[in-house]
Amino acid sequence: MRSSLLAAALAGTLLAGGGCGDARAAAPAAAGATAPGAPPAAASHYTLDPAKSSLEFTFLQAGAKNTGRFPRFAVTLDCPGADPAGGRLEVTVQVASVDTGDVDRDEVLRSDDLFAAARFPEAHFTATQIVRTAGGYEARGPLTIRGVTRETQVPFSFREATEGGAAVGYMAGKTVVRRLDFGVGQGEWQATDQAGNEVTVSFALRLTRVAR
Amino acid sequence: MALRNTTRRWGVIAQAFHWVIVALILVQVTLAEMADDLPNGVRKLTLLARHKSFGITILGLVILRLAWRSLNPHPPLPDNLKPYERRLARFSHAALYTLLFAIPLSGWTMSSARGFPVSWFGFFQLPDLVPKSQALFEALVTTHVTLVCVLAAVVAVHVAGALKHHLVHRDDVLRRMLPFTRT
Repeated sequence: MRSSLLAAALAGTLLAGGGCGDARAAAPAAAGATAPGAPPAAASHYTLDPAKSSLEFTFLQAGAKNTGRFPRFAVTLDCPGADPAGGRLEVTVQVASVDTGDVDRDEVLRSDDLFAAARFPEAHFTATQIVRTAGGYEARGPLTIRGVTRETQVPFSFREATEGGAAVGYMAGKTVVRRLDFGVGQGEWQATDQAGNEVTVSFALRLTRVAR
Repeated sequence: MALRNTTRRWGVIAQAFHWVIVALILVQVTLAEMADDLPNGVRKLTLLARHKSFGITILGLVILRLAWRSLNPHPPLPDNLKPYERRLARFSHAALYTLLFAIPLSGWTMSSARGFPVSWFGFFQLPDLVPKSQALFEALVTTHVTLVCVLAAVVAVHVAGALKHHLVHRDDVLRRMLPFTRT
């Protein structure tokens, strides 16, 4: 059995999502969470539908709100059942794909003082624990950006659907990442008056389910 | 000295509008020149952010200035002016006001076209005036710079006129816009 997966990542300051626990260990807990009477769900493996998914971020530049996105990222979610609880999420973001709609700014973002994309091409989030919360779920685990790893919690919603006979999951959420916690901002970029420290990373993912 | 204009001289408020805007225009040119030479980085962002904030300030001041102008008498031009001088004075003043609107607006629009929203000193963010467009951005850069060159030319006419009044006609046209003078 595989654990579940999925995760979010982010960059731009970016961040990534969390995962569910190991599938074998998490399975009993998840089963206990199933509504009474519901048949036990088979373990699931979800993969990303990149065309219908987005990973975006907003940040303050010179006091004004700006947005960007990471077009290239991968997500897998492995769960003991059909929903993410008890699963594991893996998110990998290609930070060099950062797109703020301005090539000059993107070049600065990829430079050594910010993402250092040549040295740290990927940002990762591995949610080793996914728990239910009052409002949905929370993915918890290490987020690594620019070689710096920090434990992170990412709240998200999850909705299952059947589309054209295929099982899909819609996962969405957002979280705030402080770029300086990850060293995204060396030298003059440690100042936060022109480029804010707090970056709000949001994701809306369409995941395709493959039952195992 | 009176806050309001009289038929003999400009009041303190009209003078303040005039000279504060003069000072801000000099600051604007300096900030733009300094930023132009810098590589993309925090310092350039900082200078351009101030340039945009001061530009919006000028736009706001010009609106207030025209409102104030409409509520006050204007000291008239001297009677001894030739018709062409009178027309030149009227035209150059109209051109100055027009440019003081058009230059900040072209800068604001240019920032919107570039996809960089404008904030006023970080206190509030202004709406984008146009959608992001590289072609429009480049056209607006040219417009913004060209309008500044036109402003420089009209200011030259304006200053030359003021000096001519003072040195050749020996009237009070220049003095009545100067603080701390009597007319």
